[in-house]
Amino acid sequence: MGKMAENQATSDKLASLGVCMRRVAEDRDKHAFAKLFDHYAPQLRAYSLAREPGADPIADELVQEVMIRVWLKAGKYNARLSNLNTWIFTLARNCRIDLMRRSNRHANTINPTDIFSQIEDDSPGPFQQAQISRIEESIKAGLEKLPQEQFEVLTRVYLEGKSHQQISAELKLPLGTVKSRVRLAMKKLKVLVTR
Amino acid sequence: MTVTNHHPTDELLALYSAGSLPLSQALCVSTHLEYCDACGHKLRYLDRIGSTLMQKLKPSPASAELKVRTLEQLDSLPEKQVETTSEVNSSLPRCLRQFINCSCDNLGWKRVSADISRVELWRDNNGAKVELLKIRPGGAAATHTHQGDEYTVVLEGSFSDEKGLYQRGDFLLRDQNDRHTPVATRDCECICLAVTEGPVQLTGFFSRILNPLIRRAYAV
Repeated sequence: MGKMAENQATSDKLASLGVCMRRVAEDRDKHAFAKLFDHYAPQLRAYSLAREPGADPIADELVQEVMIRVWLKAGKYNARLSNLNTWIFTLARNCRIDLMRRSNRHANTINPTDIFSQIEDDSPGPFQQAQISRIEESIKAGLEKLPQEQFEVLTRVYLEGKSHQQISAELKLPLGTVKSRVRLAMKKLKVLVTR
Repeated sequence: MTVTNHHPTDELLALYSAGSLPLSQALCVSTHLEYCDACGHKLRYLDRIGSTLMQKLKPSPASAELKVRTLEQLDSLPEKQVETTSEVNSSLPRCLRQFINCSCDNLGWKRVSADISRVELWRDNNGAKVELLKIRPGGAAATHTHQGDEYTVVLEGSFSDEKGLYQRGDFLLRDQNDRHTPVATRDCECICLAVTEGPVQLTGFFSRILNPLIRRAYAV
């Protein structure tokens, strides 16, 4: 399949998931919810397993928590302002933090709900739908062009939830090198353009 | 929304977006985000990077049983979520309201010097501390360095140090190599959110005597 056709298929898929999302929000439609589950549950499990390999019960718990938040927060999701995939990612990230906090019974930790809620509820952003999908494509293309060493550090930060210190210890690299790889990757992905 | 001039670095924002920052530090970033559109804009972009990376993972199939279990749960959920934000402090950043359920004046400020009062909001097992600092108009803090990093967000008023002027919403990170003397501007008092990873080291002559006492305050 060519790049164009592939992008088309991805955006068709996203559009049909968006329709499901609207049915969940407006009609509390469980069939539509089941379709969202079929699409996102395997991704969410993979996301959880990236951080805790082999921990299937935790992965299942994350799926359940995220999908229930999807059901509860469907009315707050605004398709004009954010991409559904990105919204699901922010829910997954927040749930993962929450689950880790709850499993660590003795740590007296901060309640993360308030810290990340503004992002979950997605206050109005500057992006219109067309811009959103263009950005999405440029990120995808950008990630493919990243040097392996920068891609690896990004993956560890985002998927494995590691700090710069942890990554520096694991890869036996100076802390400054880890930080500059993240910075270079951001630069290549054009995060640095604004401001 | 205030225009802020001092921001978290891109690496720090990326860690925040990834959910990999300790929550005490995430709290500072989140507070800054409530004041800063530019960083909010960046964050949405960074979240998209996270989402794209998640989609690149090899999917791990979910069992039919998990699907049934999740669908069954839907019926037992409340139809509307109860909003639990307190109304007392609508002027405070939203993410700080979990710590503060009264007016800022009634927080039980403790005086630590002629110019500075502080109130501890929270502390974790590793010695990280979340507190509010209040410097009176024109007041100065003792010159100090840190054992760990210090994250600061200005909530009210403004202050300056050797490196610049910081106003409402500005975000600063000082590490152990930074020696600085913050001074509040003369027109009003300055309130900051401060997160320290380890005990602050005072470097002034008299303040050095205080160091052992401060270290004791961090011993858990």
